[in-house]
Amino acid sequence: MATLRQEELLRLAERAFDFALKKGAGEAEAFVFQDLSTYVSIERGQIAKTSRVIDRGLGCRTIVNKSPGFSYTNVLENETAIEETVLTALDFARANRPDDDWRGLPTEKPFASVKDTYDHRIENLHPEDLVETASVMLDAAEKKDKRAFPIEGEVRASLLSAALANSNGISVADCGTMIECSLATIGHDAGEVTPVCFEFNLERTYNIDPAAVGEEAARLAVSALKAKKTETEDTSIMFTQFALEQLLAYTFTNAINSDRVQRDQSVFRGRVGQKVASEMVTVYDDGLLPGGIRTWRFDGEGVPQQRTLILEKGVLKGFIYDNYTARKEGRESTGNGSRASYLTTPNVDSTNLHFLAGSESADGLIREVDEGLLVNSVQGAHTSNPASGEFSVVATPCWKIENGEIAYPVKGAMLAGDVFNLLANVSGLADNERKIGQLVAPWVLVGNVKVIGK
Amino acid sequence: MKDVLAKVVGAAVQGFRAEYVEVRAQKLCETAIAVKEGRVETAKQGIENGAALRVLVKGAWGFASVSALDVAALSGAVSDACRMAKAASARRRVPVKLAKTRAVEDKVLLKPRKDPSKVPVEDKVNMLLTVNGTVLQDDRRVKSVTSNYLDLTGTSYFINSEGAYVEQGKLYVFLGVSAAARENGVFTYSREAVGSTSGYEVFDVETSVKIGETVARRVTAQLKAKPPRGGTFPVVLGPNVVGTFVHEAFGHLAEADITLSGSVLFDKLGKKVASNVVTFYDDGTVNGAFGSFKYDDEGVPAQKTLLVKDGVLVGLMHSRETAQQLGAQPTGNARAEDFRVEPIVRMRNTFIEARDYSFEELIEDVKFGYYLKSFCGGEANFDGTFQVGIQEAYEIVKGEIGEPVRNASISGNTIETLFKVDAVGKEFELWPGVCGKGQSAFVCDGGAHTRVKEVMVGGNA
Repeated sequence: MATLRQEELLRLAERAFDFALKKGAGEAEAFVFQDLSTYVSIERGQIAKTSRVIDRGLGCRTIVNKSPGFSYTNVLENETAIEETVLTALDFARANRPDDDWRGLPTEKPFASVKDTYDHRIENLHPEDLVETASVMLDAAEKKDKRAFPIEGEVRASLLSAALANSNGISVADCGTMIECSLATIGHDAGEVTPVCFEFNLERTYNIDPAAVGEEAARLAVSALKAKKTETEDTSIMFTQFALEQLLAYTFTNAINSDRVQRDQSVFRGRVGQKVASEMVTVYDDGLLPGGIRTWRFDGEGVPQQRTLILEKGVLKGFIYDNYTARKEGRESTGNGSRASYLTTPNVDSTNLHFLAGSESADGLIREVDEGLLVNSVQGAHTSNPASGEFSVVATPCWKIENGEIAYPVKGAMLAGDVFNLLANVSGLADNERKIGQLVAPWVLVGNVKVIGK
Repeated sequence: MKDVLAKVVGAAVQGFRAEYVEVRAQKLCETAIAVKEGRVETAKQGIENGAALRVLVKGAWGFASVSALDVAALSGAVSDACRMAKAASARRRVPVKLAKTRAVEDKVLLKPRKDPSKVPVEDKVNMLLTVNGTVLQDDRRVKSVTSNYLDLTGTSYFINSEGAYVEQGKLYVFLGVSAAARENGVFTYSREAVGSTSGYEVFDVETSVKIGETVARRVTAQLKAKPPRGGTFPVVLGPNVVGTFVHEAFGHLAEADITLSGSVLFDKLGKKVASNVVTFYDDGTVNGAFGSFKYDDEGVPAQKTLLVKDGVLVGLMHSRETAQQLGAQPTGNARAEDFRVEPIVRMRNTFIEARDYSFEELIEDVKFGYYLKSFCGGEANFDGTFQVGIQEAYEIVKGEIGEPVRNASISGNTIETLFKVDAVGKEFELWPGVCGKGQSAFVCDGGAHTRVKEVMVGGNA
């Protein structure tokens, strides 16, 4: 299947919204998205397969008398299929109810420039190159320690392109690259099996270190062997970025979402200007972060992405908005109308959630802890109460900290509490910032967390 | 369609010397509606057509996916897939082999009483508005409710180089409802789901008012609930919770790809892994259940697979590749979410078999413990560490149901916990859900009320 260039994607989008207007839409928007990915899969210690995926399609939003309808198709080769999609969107708009809060699609605005989101070297990689990268990662893991078994992994290179055009004059296109190498391992020795340990690099430019990923994945697994139970107590916890990302994703990220705030599902409602977290905590939603996983010129509605201050030294400064929730309050979108693919309508979501780092080294921070846990990852964060932030999870893998040193691995420790309390009790931020999915953060030390050990 | 697909298979075998070739194609139409409170946020319909090609060349897999079904696109994908396989084969140590299966030729037609694709969108919108209206009632404590409706209809096609050809009708109907309430600084949350492969008629039984009332009752009752004590307690798991436990804590470890990777069930076949009252099945043949289908995505017939019998591990869930590696028969558990991804070992409808205890008998001997009635998610790990989050729970005090408890979860080690199951009830229920393992799969899980002598309960009281 021939891949489409940005100009071709944009032309498809323009034709679609044009046709919608001709057929009676008050407003119309078309979004075209194309994902070209090649990836190598590792299964149970060896390279298992190589894959190539071409996925693309068009989504059309039409508004008739304040009533929106949406339709999509992945058949882009013939004009009729696209016209039928537009007509379905119109049918759905007409079958829908008018929304009095609808204040129109976004209008054109100047874009900021974005850095390090595209690298031609990634676009030009061959499957053989990716197989080689996977081998380097696997070999490094095996060489590190025989007790670590690579259960699965992946090396993936993608070229993503998007184009959007609407009846208010927006007509934009962007493309970007991603490259990822990841390895999951378990440690096994004398009948003992560890929880899954994981390491990865995910970058927008060709800047990954597969050998380091393989080695670290193996090191983690082996260091989780010979785990012991711990006591039930309130203690200090050092969260790595993995655990922090899991806990925040289902709670904090909801609490700053204007849709949730407006619908009274956020503990932050009505608290802008108040202190809601420790003074150490400053958080931005940064849609322009250089090389950020979710850095793009525009969001899923064609609105320029931006850097939005959320928490400043623990004080709540604002929320993230898409066009709909912003206009409902008579303000401007913050460029958070997120759209993962052509299949979906835009919804409010964070771009890169940037939790500013501290200045102490992670080792230095751990040295200050007499007794506590280092939690690499948690299980069950998705069962947190999305409104209250209450969680009840298991730490896997996890290590005991004693007298400022990592003493031994711990199994089966449950952590219970609420995320907003955690943020209030932050007592240390390391300087080891890294990107994990949407989160960019350092290791975070939190005091007084309830641990149920036995 | 068959001619086009057969041509593509032929090209791979002759042109690229593939040892095995399969093509899965789909023509699917999806309708989705999202209603927040009284506002229809999204009403959409879309088409997803595409094909996935999987080939074995020199003992390695190559895979290609295209969002098109014409001969030109598919021919390009064949050459892509074969090139991919060659690249992978350079570093493959042990060649992939597939367990033998009968090459089936079949055409599966669905006969829903109410075909969702024929139900007007206005009716679906009205149903969701009724659900949301019922949840909100006039209760000012209920702050928000979101209903998400989805139906998928269409046809999937499977052909391989061994002579199999299966055309299968696809039909899924799903409704998920979630609500949030607040009173005096306490936030609560509740959700409920309905899912079926039989047809839109599922809403004649699971009516909009009934679902709405369940969600409303739970979200407001939780406002008065207290957090649980953290520690180890006896628990009685409701069918909805035990299902999640069976699925998460045991089921994933018995997916043969995970077992082979070294899960705690590795080397346990034929051995005791649970107490005598525990029998588990994974069953793809339950009529109309959300995890049912006739053939899996390798053309293997779905079946009722016995996993644990009276505490002994007797079977695993297989794809053709894992079955070959373990010298077992394929069980029809290879599923792919869509044409973008390849089939992997997935569950279908997974449950604990009912026994003979009444609910009263299960709780009467518990001095202090918890009755965990409804779940809100769960997750397991290779070492057998599991966590199941609970959205509705009650204390059990001196053999009777006591006060409600919120935001609880249970955790422990799978095998240790399965040995502590000491009684199973007699009323059987299955609940629909969406399982994530890199890809999404529609499943059911459930069983009967199950008592566990002790398990760790997470709470911050």
